[in-house]
Formats: sequence, structure tokens, C-alpha cells
Amino acid sequence: MKIQEFAVTVSKERVCHLIDADPSSELYEEILEELEQMLPIAYEKIQPCAVLEFGDFKDYTSFVKESSTEALYEIHSIGSGMSEWSTSLFQEGNYLGGMLADAIADDYLFQMDSEIQKIVVQMCREKKRGIARRLEAPQDVPMDIQKKAFEVTNAEKEMGLKIKESYMLDPVKSVCQVYLLDSDHTRFCVEHDCTRCQNYKCKLRKESSVCVKVKTEEKEYKIYGSTKQTLYELLLKHGIAIPAVCSGKGLCGKCRIQVLEGEVCPSEEDKRYFTKEEIEKGFRLSCQAYPGTDCTIELSQNHSGKFFVLANEDEEKIVAATPGGEYGIAVDIGTTTVAMMLVEIKTGAVIDVFTAINPQNVYGADVISRMEASNTGKKEALKEKIRGILREGVTALLDNKKVSVARMVIGANTTMVHLLMGYSCETLGVAPFKPVTLDTIYTTCGKMFGDIGTNDFEIILYPGISAYVGGDITAGLYALDFDKRDGIAVLMDLGTNGEMAIGNKDRIMVTSTAMGPAFEGGNIVCGMGSVEGAISSVKLNKDQVLVETIGKKPPKGICGTGVIDVVYEMLREEIMDETGHMDSPYFEDGIVLSEEAGIRFYQKDVRAIQLAKAAVRAGFETLVSKFGVSYEDIEEIYVAGGFGYKMDIQKAVGIGLFPEACAQKIKAVGNTCLKGAVKYLCRENADEVTRQLVKQAEEVPLANDKTFFESYMDSMYFTQE
Amino acid sequence: MSIIQEISEYLQKGRAKNVKQLVQQALDEQLDPKEILNDGLLQGMMIVGTKFKNNEVFVPEVLVAARAMNAGLAVLEPKLVEVGNEPVGKAVIGTVQGDLHDIGKNLVVMMLKGAGFEIYDLGVDVAPSAFVDKAEEVGADIICMSALLTTTMPKMQDCVETLKERNLRDKYIVMVGGAPVNDSFAKQIGADYYTPDAATAAEVAKKAVTEK
Repeated sequence: MKIQEFAVTVSKERVCHLIDADPSSELYEEILEELEQMLPIAYEKIQPCAVLEFGDFKDYTSFVKESSTEALYEIHSIGSGMSEWSTSLFQEGNYLGGMLADAIADDYLFQMDSEIQKIVVQMCREKKRGIARRLEAPQDVPMDIQKKAFEVTNAEKEMGLKIKESYMLDPVKSVCQVYLLDSDHTRFCVEHDCTRCQNYKCKLRKESSVCVKVKTEEKEYKIYGSTKQTLYELLLKHGIAIPAVCSGKGLCGKCRIQVLEGEVCPSEEDKRYFTKEEIEKGFRLSCQAYPGTDCTIELSQNHSGKFFVLANEDEEKIVAATPGGEYGIAVDIGTTTVAMMLVEIKTGAVIDVFTAINPQNVYGADVISRMEASNTGKKEALKEKIRGILREGVTALLDNKKVSVARMVIGANTTMVHLLMGYSCETLGVAPFKPVTLDTIYTTCGKMFGDIGTNDFEIILYPGISAYVGGDITAGLYALDFDKRDGIAVLMDLGTNGEMAIGNKDRIMVTSTAMGPAFEGGNIVCGMGSVEGAISSVKLNKDQVLVETIGKKPPKGICGTGVIDVVYEMLREEIMDETGHMDSPYFEDGIVLSEEAGIRFYQKDVRAIQLAKAAVRAGFETLVSKFGVSYEDIEEIYVAGGFGYKMDIQKAVGIGLFPEACAQKIKAVGNTCLKGAVKYLCRENADEVTRQLVKQAEEVPLANDKTFFESYMDSMYFTQE
Repeated sequence: MSIIQEISEYLQKGRAKNVKQLVQQALDEQLDPKEILNDGLLQGMMIVGTKFKNNEVFVPEVLVAARAMNAGLAVLEPKLVEVGNEPVGKAVIGTVQGDLHDIGKNLVVMMLKGAGFEIYDLGVDVAPSAFVDKAEEVGADIICMSALLTTTMPKMQDCVETLKERNLRDKYIVMVGGAPVNDSFAKQIGADYYTPDAATAAEVAKKAVTEK
């Protein structure tokens, strides 16, 4: 059969997409204009023609698992006009025109293909045959099948085509398809199967969804995404930041992961960074790896640095949005990170997630420096920064989903709320630390973001308890059912400030204690964050020092877990007494952790740790004592945030951060603020309950408190209990 | 801002008209044509190439910048001939025998021009000996080959073999590229360089000729 009539209209959007021209580009208008001018000429140059014939498949049966011996061969072409035009435009130096001509040709061929598929199905129906699948050369069958197709369809005579010795059709804008027939004439698998295709960088690749199980040393997660995203992008989207110095271009080799199950084809880059054996074992650069199917991957130790932004650790399944449902957006604005979730209100099911670094970080890493920036003329800039990233998050979450949002709930510390709302921080940072407001804030999308192409939904900000115990803690209390529980529980959020709450449904007390950044490697001489090369584990044995670093890289410094380790080990080896005094010569020169890298842990570092751990311990003890209970009365101690996951509870108890008697009660609970925001979205009485939580929460001020001061002095030492 | 800098700026924005006008103006002001070329046009193109590699700009931005460069070159070229400007190097380029795809090759030509090379583009379906003959004829530094199919890749090796047979292998830098080609294939057939994209190709080519 020969067809020469095609009703094809070139898709301008797709042509632009093929040459990477994005609507947000400044050039987009110019490109569209050029394309408009080219199209009439293109239609004249394009001479579409297709030929289809049934033929035998007997020389190729060994290449397929099916037993079929027949195929339908098809060749279509648009002639030589477009490629000649493209070449001549390039020679003139009109490179944009040349690329556009080529992309127009490709789009036309692509659309012809869809038209032809209908005819293929019709022809097979008439012949009472089905189609097992469409074969791709050279993956499924050798390239010489194009020669077979060329002969069977008589393309030379019918269309004036030629074929090269390499089996390439001439003119170049021609396509050959082979459909493997099937005796089952009810199914017609005519489509190109993107999930089996290895052309991962194809701009027309269709997405299909996959589930990726992610194993880390501590936990296992399930995340959902598409075959069109690299594993690196997928992990990043779910708040698992993998180091990639080259930002995902396959150049630095740092984002390695191991595929344990499932199909993830090795990339060219993998061949450069891994040996054959490693590739067979499943090692891949995540930034170049596309999940072909559902798979299980393992993250190496070096990635455990920046995890747990999300509340999603509990394998909450991400599901597709259903039309007509009611949706909400939960938001956690942290000082360093922002996490957002699109949730179905009725079921609490997570539809999509968005995480990002808080862009206010250019104005300082902690709340104090942000307040200072706000007070020195950067108030508007800080507001715009955070609103900008939230706007971006909303757009990303709602992209292509055709859902409308009922409301958005935000949990954040008091400073973040002030900066988001554009409130003055003048009285927040100085005694008596007076916030502009701590009440629940109700606003709307329109008021906060202007028109962003969505419906105008309500925005609610969690109420805070005090200047230092903010809405993020209220959200945590609500997430952990403090409004319902009979037994007494404790919530701790340890960062530069340690925020704590104790209580049950009847009574709640909260406090905040200044820890300093020692546990984050902050004010430690050789301290650093939890990134590659950081000493994360230390063992002392007589004069021997054994250290392990993140990613097994040459040591560059020491991170929080390493700090706890070294203090714990020095105590155990008795080279430091219980007052925290290191023996000579360590007292003078510090203890050498790495000779070649010059990393030492000094007496003054021990002091910094003593101050930090004493602040936490004393805060905790004061809170417990003011509440009027003993350790035995406490059922559970929840440690929120990433710190809880990374910490070795036994060693933390060993240096006195927590009392021995509580060791069994400590639980890492992840991002309780985001969990609280989700819960608020899904519960009808949330507004009332959260206000009630705030109302009944009593703040315990630690400054000038005698119990705190005494306990602080006592906790400074490393006395055995 | 000097006129040379302005040329570079407008080129980066892809404003062909302004670039053409400014190059003419620079010539009228008796500026050295070599300076206009190197510090204006080629410098601007190099910035665009680097930005492309860093994902700061995309293909269309590179295309319009190159178009602007071409417009400037058209005005400048007669003067460059007059003062006897030597190009960075000479490159013979083409898609190998049996292969008709030329988009990738055309983009490499564009970037090589932008790096200051004199280009001899043999088009598509180029026989191994044709690459060698042309290189000998023009005194080239580099032979660049492109292939889009696994069935045409072996022709790259044929060209390297032809060079060896004629005792010319060490005289030329051989570069290969195209979808199925990779580093290990390049090594296997005895080519000097494989590059994954056009911008890298230009960068590597420039480095290779200066080190030669």
C-alpha cells in the first residue's frame, strides 16, 4: 500500500521543544516568528510518502522471543527537500534556521508515524492478525532489516528511495518500521515503547511512572517518579540531596549509587567512572541513570549528609491526583530548607513533593543573622526571597495536574513567619523578645503571591508559642498527638537552638535553650558539616587513633557525629577527666585525628561541646522538673529533624546529652513540622485544636532560672550517673 | 565600554545587526582586525560556549550568537585576508561514508568557527580517503569525523588506517563524535579525541592544536 496524502500540521511547541527553546527564554518570541516564516516554505518542500507491505520474518526469528514468522514492513519519508534546506541554511551561517528546518522535518516524520499506525492496525485487522510489538533496530533486530523492508515494500520504485551499504535510507529524512505480527488479532502493540528504548536523552521520550526503593544505612524509603527523570533528579526532588559538584552533568563522578534490583542501563559516563565489574555490580552515576523499571537502589555512606528534609520517610505512597478531589499544600519553612507537599485532603495521600534550600541563606545561616539583615534594610528582600521559592513550589506541585487547591498550611519558626509576612523583627531579637504576633495567620494566595495562575486559595500559618518556640513546634506537637495523649511525652528539636516541649492532653510546657552550633561542626576548630571527607567516626585504642570519613575520602575535618565519638572515646580511654580536662600532651596540642591532614581535636573544642550538651541537658531537666514528673513518668522522647537520625543514641547518652534512664525512650521522628502541616490540612477541627495547644502551652523561661543554672553547671561535666 | 567589548556583548545576545554595524565601525576607526576578531567575536563566542556547557544557556542562544558572529565575520574577513591573519588551525570535517546525518556535524562546524578555525566541510557520506586527501591539500591540523549509526562507525577506523598506510598518522589530530561513539571506541580505533558535544569539541580542538 502506498500513501501520499497526510493531514499533518507541524506542532510549533514540539519543534521548539526539539531545539531546547523554552517559553521562558528571551529568544522564544524570536524563534516562533522565524518558525512562522519558515513553515509555508517547509510545507512546499515536504513531500510525504509511505509504503507498507506484509512480508516474511524468517531470517530474523532468532532475534525475538515470539514465534511469529510474519511482519508488516513500513517505510515513510518526506523527501530530500528539508535536509537540503537545513544544510544550506547552516552553510549561510543561519544556524537557527538550519536547526529549525531539521526539527520541522523530524516533527513531520513523527506525526506521519502516528497517522501510519492507524493504517497499520487497519491492515492487520483485515488480515486477521494482531501486532506483538514494534521492533527497533539495532536494539531488537540487526540494522540490515531495513534492507529487507526496502525490498519488501519496493521503496526504490515506489518512492525513489535509495539505501546505503550501512542500511541507511537516502534521503536521510526517512524512517523504517517493522511490526511483528501475532496470531492474537485482538491486540495491536504499535506504539514505540519508550520504557524499553535506550535513547534516554530523546526529547520526545514518553514518561511512565516507576517506584524506586531507596536504601540507606538507616532506613528504606519508597519514592515515585518517572522514567524520564534521572535518579539524581528524583532523589533531589524528594529531599535526598546527593553531592554532585558538577550539578548533574556526569563530570565529577561524585553522585554514585548502587542498583540492587531493576533495570537501570549504564551510561557512557558510567563506563568512564567504573570498572566493568563495578558496572555489573550495579554502580551508576545517579545523574546519568534513568530508571527503566521499578528498582531498588542503595545510597553509599557519603550521601547520608543532607537527608530527611521531608516527612516522607514513612513510605507514604505518592499517588496520582484524581479529578474532582480536594487538595491542599503543606509547607515547612525551615531556616535552611523548605519542604512542600501536595496532599489529598480526604485521604491524606501525598500527590507530589517539592523541596528547596531556603534562598534567604544569602543573608546568613541562622535566625539571628536573618533578623539583623531584616533590621538593616533587607526586610523586603527577605520577604521576596521566601515568597519566590514558595511560589515556585506551588507552580511545580500543580504543574499539569488540573487540580484546584482548597488551602495551604505553613509551619515555621517565629522568625521565618515574621520574614514571610514582612513583619518587623526589631523587637523579636532583643529582650523581652516580643513578636509582632503569635496568632494563627489567615491570608490568601492572591494576597501573598499575586496572580500565579491558580485559584485563589486560603493560606494558614501555624500559631507560635513564643519568640523562640514557634509554629514549627506547635505543628510537631499536633503531629505527635499531644492534644490526645494521656501519657507524658517530650519533643526535642535540636539545631543551633534546642527547642523542647513536654506534656500530654492536659498540660504542655515548652522551652528553648541556646546550644551554639557545636553539634553541627560549627564552633569546632577542625569542624565541618556532614559532607564527604568529614570524620564521622572515631575509635581510640591506647595510642592508636582510627577514624572513618564520610565517603571514605581523605579526611578534611570533623562533623557532629565524629565530635560526639571523639569526646566519648577520650572519656572511655580516660585521657580526659570528668571535668573535661584533657591529659598532657593533648591538653596543649589537642589529639591528632589525622596527621597528614592536620586535623586535631582541641581542649577548646571539648569546652564548646560541654556548653552545648549542658544547655540541652539542663533545659531538659529543668523542663521535666517544672512539669513535676520524673524520668520514669515519661513515655517517649521524640527527637525531630535530621540530627536525631544521624546521632548514635548510646554515645550521646555516654557524653551526657541525655540521661541514661531515658536512652530506651528516644525516637527519631523526622520532619514533624511538615507532618503537622499535613495533619492540619486533613482535619476539620485542626484550627481549634492547634489554638488550644498554643493556649495551654506554658513557656518556661530559662534565663535567671535557678534550677536551670544549677543543672547547667552540673551537666557541664562528664560525671557517670 | 570599548567598541571591542561591545561587539562581544552584542554577539552574546545574538544581535547580528549590531555586531555587523560595530565591526564596520571598528574597522572605520582603524582598529586592528585581529583584535576585533580575537577579543570581540571569538571571545564572545567562547563565553557563550562556556555558558552552554554550564547549562546557563541553551541551544537557541548559542545558535543566534553564532549567527551574529557569522554576520560580523562576513564584514571582517576581507580585512583579515589583507593583514594576513593566521587562523588558530585548519580543520577538515565531515560525516563518514554511508552516513547522511549532518546536524551534529554542522553544529561542530559552527563551534569550530567560533573558536577561530578555518573549516573545510566535506559534507556527508565522505569516503575515508577523501578526508585524508583534503587534509593533505589544505595543510590541515585536524580531521574531524561524525557518525550517527553503529553501522557507519567502522568507517572512522578506515580513515585512521588510511592515514597509517600513507604514513601520515602523526601529522594530524583525529577527532571523532556522534551518538553511538564514545571514549573507549575512540581509543580502540586509534583516534586522538572523542568529545560528547559541539562546545567541548571546539574547546578540545583549540587545546590540541596549541599543544601540537
